[in-house]
Amino acid sequence: MRHLLLLLAALALPAPSAARPVLQPVTHPEWREVLAGHQGDLVVVDFWATWCLPCIERFPRMVELSERYADEGVTFIAFSLDDRDDAGAMAMAGSFIAEQGGRIEHYVTADVIPVAFEHLDLLGIPAVKIYARDGTLARTLDADDPNHQFTDEDVEAAIVELLAD
Amino acid sequence: MARFPRIPTFLAAALLAALPLSAGTYNAVAEIGDPLPAFSDLPATDGSALSASELTEDVVVLVFLANHCPWVRGMDGDLVKLVDSFEGESVRFVGVSVNHREEDRLPAMKEHAAETGYRFTYVFDESQELGRALGATRTPEYFVFDADRALVYMGAIHDSPAQESSDGSIDYTQGEPTVHYVADAIRAALAGEPVATAETRAHGCSVEYEG
Repeated sequence: MRHLLLLLAALALPAPSAARPVLQPVTHPEWREVLAGHQGDLVVVDFWATWCLPCIERFPRMVELSERYADEGVTFIAFSLDDRDDAGAMAMAGSFIAEQGGRIEHYVTADVIPVAFEHLDLLGIPAVKIYARDGTLARTLDADDPNHQFTDEDVEAAIVELLAD
Repeated sequence: MARFPRIPTFLAAALLAALPLSAGTYNAVAEIGDPLPAFSDLPATDGSALSASELTEDVVVLVFLANHCPWVRGMDGDLVKLVDSFEGESVRFVGVSVNHREEDRLPAMKEHAAETGYRFTYVFDESQELGRALGATRTPEYFVFDADRALVYMGAIHDSPAQESSDGSIDYTQGEPTVHYVADAIRAALAGEPVATAETRAHGCSVEYEG
């Protein structure tokens, strides 16, 4: 965990308090409602956590994509799988997303972490799910197959492809 | 075209629910029954090198680890206890690190093994071939092989994944573990009996494969 603290400390920049993003806790049923509320948009969900180094390293790329595609009918959501009862982790997550910026909505699971993974049909993170305009799951990009782990380029290619549908 | 007898939906659902978990449910590559992949001369933290042909014990347990991972660190104590609990029995534990980040390479592995009290061979799979062959994508993730070197279990150590919290404490996500999948699988394999639960979700950090 020390390296993570150092990494986050190195990345941390003062954030204007008025623009500080909020990590909204959601149970799984509430999460389904959030998704349902975005029907009509393409929805890109980045599943991440402060304990996931590759997630943190990839996050800036998601910020770039959000700035590039938010005006084209794409909603970007970052869904944290941190432990909401771990005050230190939540503080780190809050500082991190404040520093990262981007046009991204933020949620954190209110469920026990392994249970949240099961509800979300995820085996691990980083992972990205993209929902089509009608709300159906269109793409799942994950690292579950050693021979086909997703790349940042895969995410953008999927967005471009689905926007063209 | 071949036709199959129709089964009422409720009956089909009940039959599916009653079936044991099928192999490969949580693993994109490996299936229960697969042979131990061949590997040779993987460098270990004690300065030795390990090959599959040197494993002569009745049961072999490979556990994929990553020093940097809070889930590995959260369950390190359970791993150490597991190894101790089979002392004197014909069981060989081998830790495997696959990631290429500095925190998970051999020098850091040596440090972590010493700090944590790993009393098993801990090797670095720099080519990542062993990890790929087993479809190992989480840390910690266990693979248990029987005397015939057939895979009899893959997944988590037990039923309550634990994480090292930001304050360094250990947080069991679902209370004290009650089902110890790996220990149960080892005992079954030692007794030559089938493993009751052959596959579970291995919760933890993702293994990063190059290219």
